[in-house]
Amino acid sequence: MSETEVVQENTIPLLEIKNMTKTFGPVVALNDVDLTVQKGDVLGLIGENGSGKSTITSIAAGMQKATKVESMRYKGKDWAPSSMLDALDNCGEGAHGIGMIVQESGTIAGITVAENIFLGELDQFRVFKFGPISRRKLNKAANEALEAIGITNVRGNMPMAALDFQSRKLVEIAKIMLKDPDVIVVDETSTALAHDGRQILYNIINKYRGTEKAVIFISHDLDEIMEVCDTLTVLRDGKIIRSFKKDEFDADAIRTSMIGRELQGDYYRSDFTPSWQEEVVLECKNLVLGDSLKDISVQLHKGEILGVGGLSHCGMHTLGKVLFGAVKPQKGEVLVNGTPVKNEAFAMKKNIGYVSKDRDTESLALTASIKDNIAIGGMEKYAIKNFLIWDPSEKKYVDEQINNLSIKCSDRNQTTGTLSGGNKQKVVFGKWVGRGSEILILDCPTRGVDIGVKQAMYQLMLKLKEEGKAILMISEEMPELIGMSDRILIMKDGEIKKEFIRSAELTDAEIINYMI
Amino acid sequence: MEVKKIKFDKHTVKKLLTLLMPIIAFGVLIAVFCIVVGAKGYKLDRYIEIIFNQGLVLAIVATGATFIYTLGSFDISLGASTLFSAAVGVMVYNSTHSLVVMILVIIIVAVGCSLLSSTLASVFKLPVFVTTVAMMSVLSAISATIITKNGGALGGISIPSSVVKPLDNMGFKIAMLVIFMALCVFVFEFTKVGRRQKFLGANPFCAKLTGISLNKYAIIAFVMAGLGVGLGAFLTLVYTPSVTPTTAGSLGMQILVAIVFGGMPISGGPRSKIYAAVVGGFSYILLDNILKILIQGNAGYGISQIISAVFFLALVYVASLNYRSKNLPR
Repeated sequence: MSETEVVQENTIPLLEIKNMTKTFGPVVALNDVDLTVQKGDVLGLIGENGSGKSTITSIAAGMQKATKVESMRYKGKDWAPSSMLDALDNCGEGAHGIGMIVQESGTIAGITVAENIFLGELDQFRVFKFGPISRRKLNKAANEALEAIGITNVRGNMPMAALDFQSRKLVEIAKIMLKDPDVIVVDETSTALAHDGRQILYNIINKYRGTEKAVIFISHDLDEIMEVCDTLTVLRDGKIIRSFKKDEFDADAIRTSMIGRELQGDYYRSDFTPSWQEEVVLECKNLVLGDSLKDISVQLHKGEILGVGGLSHCGMHTLGKVLFGAVKPQKGEVLVNGTPVKNEAFAMKKNIGYVSKDRDTESLALTASIKDNIAIGGMEKYAIKNFLIWDPSEKKYVDEQINNLSIKCSDRNQTTGTLSGGNKQKVVFGKWVGRGSEILILDCPTRGVDIGVKQAMYQLMLKLKEEGKAILMISEEMPELIGMSDRILIMKDGEIKKEFIRSAELTDAEIINYMI
Repeated sequence: MEVKKIKFDKHTVKKLLTLLMPIIAFGVLIAVFCIVVGAKGYKLDRYIEIIFNQGLVLAIVATGATFIYTLGSFDISLGASTLFSAAVGVMVYNSTHSLVVMILVIIIVAVGCSLLSSTLASVFKLPVFVTTVAMMSVLSAISATIITKNGGALGGISIPSSVVKPLDNMGFKIAMLVIFMALCVFVFEFTKVGRRQKFLGANPFCAKLTGISLNKYAIIAFVMAGLGVGLGAFLTLVYTPSVTPTTAGSLGMQILVAIVFGGMPISGGPRSKIYAAVVGGFSYILLDNILKILIQGNAGYGISQIISAVFFLALVYVASLNYRSKNLPR
């Protein structure tokens, strides 16, 4: 190879996309977009929900095809992967293709961790050709893959369904990293991870930085994306709006580029005075459930936002489910206004609402319409004699929620699965707020939603608090806990380690000390 | 007022095609049937009556079964339940000589069989279709025992045809179909029960966390299916007042095919619709008869089964066209 050729090769971008368009029926997700990813770069993609971030990267990673594209080149060669596996494996000698860690679940529940990691490649573990698979070898290799990225609490022989959301996401990361891709796309993954999980992800990203490889990092967390990325590209309505270099990073300018206007009003609560009413509306006494909950007692007051934080396995997500009656504790009881909570239906009768962290699996029916998802929660509000459904009343009820929450959709009959993450979450809120829930248990309520939607949700929470409603907010995001809660409970290993009262002096560092 | 214009782009066409395909197919099958019968020189009015009588029981039982299919489950024992209910009905009539008692017993037995399936599934925490497979074997065996023990050399049991003769007319049968369909449409589309059934089919995990009990709504679905089976068993006796061990033998599988023919997703959920059972039921019977007329003889049965299977696959493919390309990558 001549000297000129070497220089040329070094200046060739890893990934280069020109004039890419993608439509989903009438929705234009990408509109003539160009994107270039240079070697050694940690490129941030930011934009509101539905701006096209996931779409463009998922096309490059082989998840789907563009409707129209002038050219897509990877390492200087034409690039049109037929599948995600193809994008990882079939890009020349030694593979090193493009791997994508998707926002929602990218693993299969009915099989083991090891089977997930080596999905489609189990033949290599056969004792002999056409013989049985050696479980010992398979699990050993899976454990090595997990340990290679610093995961020690998940083992290859564990059933996938037994893992929580964070662990499933970490398994997915291990699976991708096993292929040693030259480009990794991290699509809103950090929001699924608590502090420890995020550290694993950041270590991987740092290993890629400044090398011959690259990372495309998608996040709605402006602070995080500014911290992690070297360059930043803003998308809006399927178009590239602006790119920023590290020294140009400015939160206000990025926000304005993202939403096309300046963000008006407060983001979190502007006051630092803790406030709630005397009346205890929801409480649990001495809850015990395996290692998740060890003698937990909590009181939630009327008009209070009670934050619960901790690492992903600290038991806080289980606590949310137990308080809603979805999981039965081994010991202890949950009382709503003094009455024991028996199950989910009873909790709903007592005006408790529950927003799960696992939105696509537990909070929404993706194949159903927006109308179906919102209406199912509020039938008591509009059903005649609490039994008969009169279509105009139902539509009116649903339209009210769509308007109140400014859900971006073509109409109420749009399939929920076609909405962006933020709008899906608005539908979930519509389901619970619309029915007049007096107590809301929100598990990671702003996971995967953009800054504009986040602000709207925080303002909604504040409004509900002012109306005297009680909110228990489980969150893995420290700024959110500090910014919104009247009290913060920090959980670790199934126990409440510390209670903080709202104050202007409260910092992330102070709280994190009790989490880890 | 702003008038919303319909844009006939690829997306809308796919959606419309998915929606209208079963009805278009039904129309095409009627036209083909008329042409084939005419070409063979058969009496069209007589053949239409045969089609109606064959399709009626299938349509009614399938209409009730829609509630089960909406949950994303299925019941393979519906044919055996129909046979068993009809057999018990014959025995009861021959003991009491009361048509009213016979009808009541048929309905109670049919609903009881359905409830037993769902209760067993609930108690033993098994998928419902597993218990229905067991029920199919048990009910077929008991029915065969009843029929052979009481039917003797005749190979079947019967009630006097004069008892049901006054009811063996199109008017009565259409009325039965319309009333049962109206009841099902009412429950399915205009009550909380129907809404919750569809939501359970769409996502049982989310439904549970929305306070919807799978067991409760599975029981309601099986009761509705039981009513359909009971009515189907009664109408079977109206058409042919005798019962043999092969009566309604393939009904369970026919319902599955009919519901898909009618455009209902095999996975249930919010796109389930009651009319799918009726459209699909009659479409299936039409197709079956067209093939029987065209391909006569022993080889005909096999060929017509293969053609039915291809038709079935094509419809499932078209039905899923719209859905498969709809989801964004998140």
